Amino acid sequence: MEAIWEILTLRQASVRKRFRKRLKGSLPWYPFIFVNIVVFLVFNFAPWLSMIETSLHETDLLSTKKFVGLGNLERMVQDQHLHRAILNTFQFVFMYVPVLVAISLFVAILVNRPLVGMKFFRALYFLPNVTSIAVLSLIFWRFFSPRPEAPINYLLGLLGIPPQKFLVDVNQAMPSIVAISLWEAFGYYMVIWLAGLQGIPSELYDAALVDGAASWKLHRYVTLPLLRPTAAFIIVVSTINALQVFGSIFILTGGGPVYATTTIVYHIYQQAFNFGRIGYASSISIFLFFLVLIITLFQSRYLRFGEEVY
Amino acid sequence: MAVAEPTTSGSKPIFGRTARVKPKVRIRALILHVVTYVLMLLVGITTAGPFVIMLSVSFTQDIRFIIFPVRLIPDPITLENFQTLFSKTMALRWLFNSFYVATVSTLGGVITSTMAGYAFARGDFIGRRVIFILFLGILMMPESALVVPQFVVLSRLGLVNTYTALIGPWFASIFGTFLMRQQYLSIPRDYDSAATIDGANLWQIYWLVLLPQLRPAMATLAVLRFMGNWNAFLYPMIVTSKANLRTLTVGLGTVARSGGDAGLDMAGAVIGFLPTFLIFIFMQKYIIRGISLSGVKA
Repeated sequence: MEAIWEILTLRQASVRKRFRKRLKGSLPWYPFIFVNIVVFLVFNFAPWLSMIETSLHETDLLSTKKFVGLGNLERMVQDQHLHRAILNTFQFVFMYVPVLVAISLFVAILVNRPLVGMKFFRALYFLPNVTSIAVLSLIFWRFFSPRPEAPINYLLGLLGIPPQKFLVDVNQAMPSIVAISLWEAFGYYMVIWLAGLQGIPSELYDAALVDGAASWKLHRYVTLPLLRPTAAFIIVVSTINALQVFGSIFILTGGGPVYATTTIVYHIYQQAFNFGRIGYASSISIFLFFLVLIITLFQSRYLRFGEEVY
Repeated sequence: MAVAEPTTSGSKPIFGRTARVKPKVRIRALILHVVTYVLMLLVGITTAGPFVIMLSVSFTQDIRFIIFPVRLIPDPITLENFQTLFSKTMALRWLFNSFYVATVSTLGGVITSTMAGYAFARGDFIGRRVIFILFLGILMMPESALVVPQFVVLSRLGLVNTYTALIGPWFASIFGTFLMRQQYLSIPRDYDSAATIDGANLWQIYWLVLLPQLRPAMATLAVLRFMGNWNAFLYPMIVTSKANLRTLTVGLGTVARSGGDAGLDMAGAVIGFLPTFLIFIFMQKYIIRGISLSGVKA
C-alpha cells in the first residue's frame, strides 16, 4: 500500500517537474503572441459571447433590455422582410457567381499568352479590384442614372434601346448591382485563374497537339479538367463574398426600391442601426454565420467530388 | 471544326509557332492574335472608361451631371472642384483619418504578424495547438456576421467613435500570422542555433537574424493590409457615427447619393482612388504574389 502511494507521489512529482520545465520553456514565447491574443479576445471572442447573449434579449443598448429567450428566432420565422432579404441574397448569388466564373476564366485565357502589352492589360483589369467600393459607387451612381443622356443609357440608345431606370427600378436594381459587382471583381478572379492556368505543364498541350487536338478541344479536354481545383476555390470564395454583399447596396440603393435590393447583411444593418433592434440583429448574424458555414462545407465537399478522376 | 495540322517536331508549344509551320496555320494564328487583341481592347475600354471619365469630369468646370458624349479633355481644365472639396467639405479630415488609420493598422498588423508567426513556427509553448486552431477558426468567420456584436462590445467599452475602434481589429492579422509562419518555416533552423550559440535570446534572433530575411513577405502583407484597410467600408462605418471620425471611404459612401455636383463628387472619387492606384502601380508584384499566396494555397 505504502509502496503504491510512494510510486504515485513520485510520478506526480515527475509530472509536476516536467510541467514546470515545459512552462519555463513556454514563458518566453508568450510575449510574441500577446497582442494577437488581446486583439482576438476583444474583437472576436468577446463579440462572439455577446452575440449569443444579446440574441436572447431585446435591446437597443440604451434604455431597454428584456430577456426574450428564443423570441428573436420566432421573429425571424415571421419577418417577411427577412425572407425577402434571404431571397434577394440568393438571387444575387445565382446571378453573380456563374457569370463571374465564366467571364474571369474567359479573360484569363485571353491574357494567358506571351503577347505584347499583355502585362498592361492584366494590370488594367485588376484595377477596379484595388479601388474602394465607395469610389466605384460614386462613379456608377452617375453612370446608371435614369436620364437618357447618362452614360449607360446613351450607349443603349446607340443600340436602339430606350432609356432604362436601372437602380430606381424594382426589377432592374439587383441586376445593376450585380453588373457593378462583376465589373469590380473579375480582375481578381482572373489572377487566380491565371495562377491555375500557369500550373498546367506545357507537355500536356504538346501531347494533345501531337494527337491532333483542335485548339478549342485543347481547352475542353486539357485546360478545363486540370482547372477543377481552381474552379472549386473560386466558386467557394465568390459565393461567400456574394452572400455578404453590402457596400454597393448601402451606397447605391439603400436596400430599395421597395426592398428589391435588401440583402441579409443590409437587413442586419437596418435592424440594428435604423430600428435599434440589436438583439434581433444578433440573431440574424448567427443565422448568417451558419449559412456561410454550411455553404462552405457543402461546396468544398461537393466540388471536390470527382477530383480523383484526374 | 477542322483539325489543326500537327506541328512539326521541335517547334515551340501552342502559341509561339515557328516559321516552318505551314501557311494555313500561320494565317489562323494571325487571326487568333487579332481577335485576342480586339477582345482585350474591348474589355480594357470597359474597365478603364469609368476611371478616365471620373478624372476628366473632376477637372471640368461647373458640371452638374455626367452626360454623354463626354468631353474627355475638359476645356478649360480647372482645379475648382478640388478646391471646393477641400474647403467646403470634410474631405481633408477624412483623408487624414484614412491615412492615419491605414498606416497605424498596417504597421501594427505587420509587426504583430511577424512576432506571432515566429512563435508559431519556432516556439514550443503550452496552448500552442489550441490557440492555433482558434485562430484558424477566426479565419473562417464571415466578418459581416460579427460587426453588430463588435459594435456592442465596443459601445460597452466606450470605444465607439474612437481611433482605437477603427484600428483595433487591424492590429493583429490571422492571415498575416499564417503567412509569416510559412516564411519562418522556410528558413533553416541552423540560423537560430548558430545565433543561440553566439548567446542571442529569442528577441535578438527574431529581430536581427530572421526578420531581415522576411522583407518581401512583409512588403506583400503591408500592401494588402494597407489597401484592405483603406477600402474597408462596413466595419468603419458602424463604429463611427461622428462625421469627423469617418474614413474617406465611409465619408464618400455616405454622401454618394446626395445628388450634388458631379464635378465635386468625381473630385472626391479621385482622392479616394489615387492612393490605392499609386500603391497598385508601384507594388503590383507584391499584390499579385499576395493573391497567389492567399488564393491558390487556401
